[in-house]
Amino acid sequence: MNKINRLMCSLVIIGTALLLSGCWSKKELTDLAIVAALGIDKNEEGRYVGTLQIINPGNVAGGMQGGGGTQGPPVSVITGTGDSIVELSRRTSRKLSRRLYYAHTNLVVISEELAKEESISSILDPLERDAEFRSTAIIVIAQGEKASDIVKILTLIDKIPANKVIKTLKFTERTWGENISVSMQEAIKTLVSPGKELAVSGFRISGDVDKGKKMENTQQTEPSSLLYTGSLAIFKKGKLIAWIDGETARGSVFLLDKLNASAIAVKWERKDEAMVYELIRQKTKVMAKMEKGKPIVSIKVQAEGNIGEARVPIDLTNPDVLLKVEKVIEKEIKKEITMAVKQAQKNRSDIFGFGEALHRTNPKEWKKIAAKWNDIYFPEVKIDIVVDAFIRRTGLRNNPHQVNK
Amino acid sequence: MEKAKISLYQLFVLILLFELGSAILVPLAIDAKQDAWLAILSGLIGGLFLFWINYRLFLYYPELAPPEYMQKLLGKIAGTFLAFWYIIFFMYTAARVLRDFGEMLLTFAYLETPLFIVNALLMLVIIYAVSKGIEVVARTGELFFVSIYFLAITGFILIVFSGLIDLNNLKPMLEEGIFPIAKVAFTQTLYFPFGESIVFSMIFPYITKRKSVKKVGLFAIGLSGINLAITMAINIGVLGVDLASRSQFPLLSTIQSIQVAEFLERLDVFFMISMVICIFFKVSIYFYAAVAIAAVIFKIKKPSKLTYPMGMVVLFMSVTIASSYAEHLKEGLEFGTRYVHPFFLVIIPMLLLGIAFIKNRKRSSHQKI
Repeated sequence: MNKINRLMCSLVIIGTALLLSGCWSKKELTDLAIVAALGIDKNEEGRYVGTLQIINPGNVAGGMQGGGGTQGPPVSVITGTGDSIVELSRRTSRKLSRRLYYAHTNLVVISEELAKEESISSILDPLERDAEFRSTAIIVIAQGEKASDIVKILTLIDKIPANKVIKTLKFTERTWGENISVSMQEAIKTLVSPGKELAVSGFRISGDVDKGKKMENTQQTEPSSLLYTGSLAIFKKGKLIAWIDGETARGSVFLLDKLNASAIAVKWERKDEAMVYELIRQKTKVMAKMEKGKPIVSIKVQAEGNIGEARVPIDLTNPDVLLKVEKVIEKEIKKEITMAVKQAQKNRSDIFGFGEALHRTNPKEWKKIAAKWNDIYFPEVKIDIVVDAFIRRTGLRNNPHQVNK
Repeated sequence: MEKAKISLYQLFVLILLFELGSAILVPLAIDAKQDAWLAILSGLIGGLFLFWINYRLFLYYPELAPPEYMQKLLGKIAGTFLAFWYIIFFMYTAARVLRDFGEMLLTFAYLETPLFIVNALLMLVIIYAVSKGIEVVARTGELFFVSIYFLAITGFILIVFSGLIDLNNLKPMLEEGIFPIAKVAFTQTLYFPFGESIVFSMIFPYITKRKSVKKVGLFAIGLSGINLAITMAINIGVLGVDLASRSQFPLLSTIQSIQVAEFLERLDVFFMISMVICIFFKVSIYFYAAVAIAAVIFKIKKPSKLTYPMGMVVLFMSVTIASSYAEHLKEGLEFGTRYVHPFFLVIIPMLLLGIAFIKNRKRSSHQKI
């Protein structure tokens, strides 16, 4: 009995040692090529070209201490061609000494040309299906550029270009509000919805692309080539149809209720851009209803903010004056939103989700008009905008200083 | 029947872990679209009724396990035959749940590992636990219950704070009227997961305070139903109907979307741990019920001897019942809930209760005279 017990005991120990090590499909860190960004183009033959931005671990870490390994670029780029995304990704293994690892990919760049030619949903399927790839990855469109170029440019401050793109988008969304960062999951949700069309930010390159690929690009105060956010790409049925920018874009972001903060310049006493309103927070509510068979959308905006700049003599200590300024600001916001809606109606693409709002309130009528929503009903939608803007504070000073000479 | 004592709290914990088991894994009741949570709650009402039927049967024969009162009610041969079918049903369902577990791990984490290995690892643990008896399983349940709820509450808070839930996704309510919800409730959620609580009739005789079985059981099933409805509502709120129905594991996709404060993200492991725990209990309880019935009808004194051979059968069945995950799911929905579940979970218990009612009324009226 004792012998059997001892035998069993040793068997159990050997068994657990084998099982607990969990080495069935082990992946050593030194065998992984961590993909930071994926750029997708289409070549002349109509095949997909994928450009993968792979992190060079040695050149990213320890740069600040002046330690070794800062000689080379922080990322290197590899391209693959194929008829499908999975094929091109697998084919890059012929050029790469490591296994591609997509779990940290948080940027997908799609070229403008490709997005105009075919629905981007065919690109997104393999990315959504893969267990490694994260659906929180951000999507951008390479505006007027090749996606491969966007992925290749080296950047300052944030060493990994993919991070630079994502952070730029995030901060401009928070402080200026003409762009939005859209994750893959959000994009797919919008693509499948009959009552909403997709809007995604574009990214552009300034300067010489070839210089941007070299390390010298990061060794000057003003890089020869820089990545910056472009306009807002408007989609219809998954295809890119138009770009919008400026106040129209901001009006669209307002309507999407994604605006966090911005600076709105208004006219005061015949001087253009005399006052700047610093928006701190806003809430936009979209309600839709049917009246006599026609959809009506009412938009309610509540904005809160401070005075950031006053370049004309004005008595900001007087609450009545502030109320007047609020009225002007409300007019300006209303103008931007109206511009955005008119533009979208011209494009016949409901990027604001008015259709979804109608679906929620009038499911039965929506069913009848859903198929023709974008082309027939949406361009005819009557909108009714109510803006409530509040000026809460005026900064450290009340009245602007005046030069009395 | 082994000698074991189960407290009311242990029963509560076991029912809850069992009900959450694989139901929280799959897109439950998604055929009802944005009203999935309503379909779950309506299924719950039916499930409570089914639990009550089993409880009434237990009240007639508080000392006997189901196979024994089946023999008493239907006669020796017919009762044994029926009990034998229950062994097969419970083992088949245990194999299905085990397959769910393996498929989940293979789809998402261990893409290159064979299904057999993953299933075998869990099944070995289950065989060991069940061979030690139901008391051990119950005590393990007490231990893990706390961690499950800790994970669930943490996950819930994180989802709420990451601002992902868009309640607009749950509108419009009752878009197609009440009919689709009723259909889903009566063809799916009534049986899976709520009707499955019939296995607990194997455990009732062990419970120390019999008077409170009804109260605790109904409460546990009710709570699990509410948890499932909330989970599904959150899934749809975060993912939208389309994505939730296309996701093999919607809860996983929901958890993967969490991004709080730049560092609280990629919490997939929350999902993995809770799934492994819940599925462990679901398979264990099904498997225990199969073993216990076999021990009764074949008059085996030590049920633990049966665990290894029967466990191997469950393990091999789990690998061979379907050649793909799609086939596995289709089999569950088209064959399982349409033909198998109504028979074993609804018709038979109702029939038994009817016979028990008539027999006992006769006896009690005789006694009065």
